[in-house]
Amino acid sequence: MLNRLTTNTRIFFEGAYYSYKALFRWLRPATYLASEVFAPLTMMIFFVYIGAYASGSNSASFYVIGNSLIFAASSGIFGVTMSVGGERWSGTLPYLFGSPANRWAMFVGRAVMHVLNGMLGVFIGLGWGILLFKLDLSHTDPLALLLTILITTFSTSGLGLLMGCLSLITRNVMLVNNTVYFLLLVFSGANIPVGDLPRWMQVISQGLPLTRGVACARTIIDGGSLADVLPLLQVEFLIGVILTILGYFLFKIFEIEAKRMGTLDIF
Amino acid sequence: MDAITVNHLRRLYKSTDGIIKRTTKEVVAVEDVSFEIRQGELFGLLGPNGAGKTTSVKMLTTLLIPSGGSATILGLDVVKDANKVRPRIGFIFGGERGLYWRLSGLDNLRYFASLYYVDEATSKKRIPELLEIVGLKGREREKVEGYSRGMRQRLHIARALLHDPEVLFLDEPTMGLDPVGARELRTTVKNLQSANKTILLTTHYMFEADALCQRIAVINKGKIVALDTPEKLKENVQDLSVVEVELYGIPQEVIERIKALDFVVEVSIENRDQRQVMQVHTPKGPEAIPVLVEHLNGLRIGRIITREPTLEDAYVRLVGGAEQ
Repeated sequence: MLNRLTTNTRIFFEGAYYSYKALFRWLRPATYLASEVFAPLTMMIFFVYIGAYASGSNSASFYVIGNSLIFAASSGIFGVTMSVGGERWSGTLPYLFGSPANRWAMFVGRAVMHVLNGMLGVFIGLGWGILLFKLDLSHTDPLALLLTILITTFSTSGLGLLMGCLSLITRNVMLVNNTVYFLLLVFSGANIPVGDLPRWMQVISQGLPLTRGVACARTIIDGGSLADVLPLLQVEFLIGVILTILGYFLFKIFEIEAKRMGTLDIF
Repeated sequence: MDAITVNHLRRLYKSTDGIIKRTTKEVVAVEDVSFEIRQGELFGLLGPNGAGKTTSVKMLTTLLIPSGGSATILGLDVVKDANKVRPRIGFIFGGERGLYWRLSGLDNLRYFASLYYVDEATSKKRIPELLEIVGLKGREREKVEGYSRGMRQRLHIARALLHDPEVLFLDEPTMGLDPVGARELRTTVKNLQSANKTILLTTHYMFEADALCQRIAVINKGKIVALDTPEKLKENVQDLSVVEVELYGIPQEVIERIKALDFVVEVSIENRDQRQVMQVHTPKGPEAIPVLVEHLNGLRIGRIITREPTLEDAYVRLVGGAEQ
């Protein structure tokens, strides 16, 4: 029993490490800089200036914080989905599913590196904010902010795991991913205050990951304490847990479905 | 006890087409397949493209749920007991996919070892042994993207053996390999059988099946059309000779005319670069040559020989003389 647990832990972490190394090794320093450092900067500039133009406010921090958290969602959704979808492209899905490996350890472990990468993305975004838009972190509780970033990246990775399951039955999952990503841009409050959205959109916002994470980050950077945001953070964490569990069960269902439909090795 | 039993296995695929008016088409990949493989036996599954070989292997390796029938591996049902079957089997599919090209050969093996619950101590001992067996020692730290096709195929074999499985499924393992690479791989397969592994090998190459397999099942259009030892299968064509005529372009109507001759049992055409070799199975032997030449009048003819039938000829007779 203990031996099985140790091996599953090994699959969890080795799977995280090797699948990242195997499927994301194209991220050499130059490509990493382009896709994870400079592309987010252009997106941030776009929203900061369009936001200032639309709202008439000169405060960039709203957009800087919102878009920094969006970078976590980007890594969580696209990275995690690609870590399942990439197996289809490399033809390794049949070998993964033909192995006796614990599906939980194999599947959820894949999110680990993308959570770390997503966190790094948030720091990069905040760094750009400090450098270019005078983002003030002097009143920020660093531990509370770190916890908020960790939980938000985890919850958006849960969404990525859910999306990743689709990779088992279709090769066109990126179309769905893009839609979900743009929905988050609009609904999460990253660029438009949730309170300014129509009522029906606010209902959707409350059901999504990221919404509370963005709100918490803004509160903490404005000088709020962990206690102020804890209730929201707990819900954000719960959403992440629900999405991960849903993702796991969907993964199990789609594994059977893929074997029934014979879609494991189409690419 | 039989290592593998297959009872009336069947598999259908559904494909849909159209945007508004969706039409669903059912394709029968495996119609009705039954056979048993004894423990320690090297069993061949031969058949033309699309005959149902790979689909059968996928069902036996728990990667595809059968539409009908049943199969057991070491007494375990491949659907109900899939979790118990997986640690006891190893499998490889032909071709170069199925490995992480950006990882080294060693990292590929390490990762798959963990997926098969091979503990770290065993893994440290077994991986170098397997690298030695498949001839990749010294190259294991290089990325797979730099490997030749043969090296990748041998890495596949090492991967399949990491957990020391009792039953191995090798689906066209020599596909696309150069003659030297293919010969080395056949030696590896032979050695595995000597180590008492039960092996199901699918291949297009008759000489390979003849040299390696103790028994062979010929599958065509999703059904087993013959199952016996290579020697017994060859006996099916012992009453015939094969006349091989080298040609440089042969119209289909001429082939049809020759097929219609009363002394011709089977005709197959093999393309070799610019040439075609027409193989005519006939009980008349060399006596058939003048009549054949008469029918080939006007065509450019090369060498003509008469030979004893091989396993390939038996196979051609069983599956029909489709162009190869």
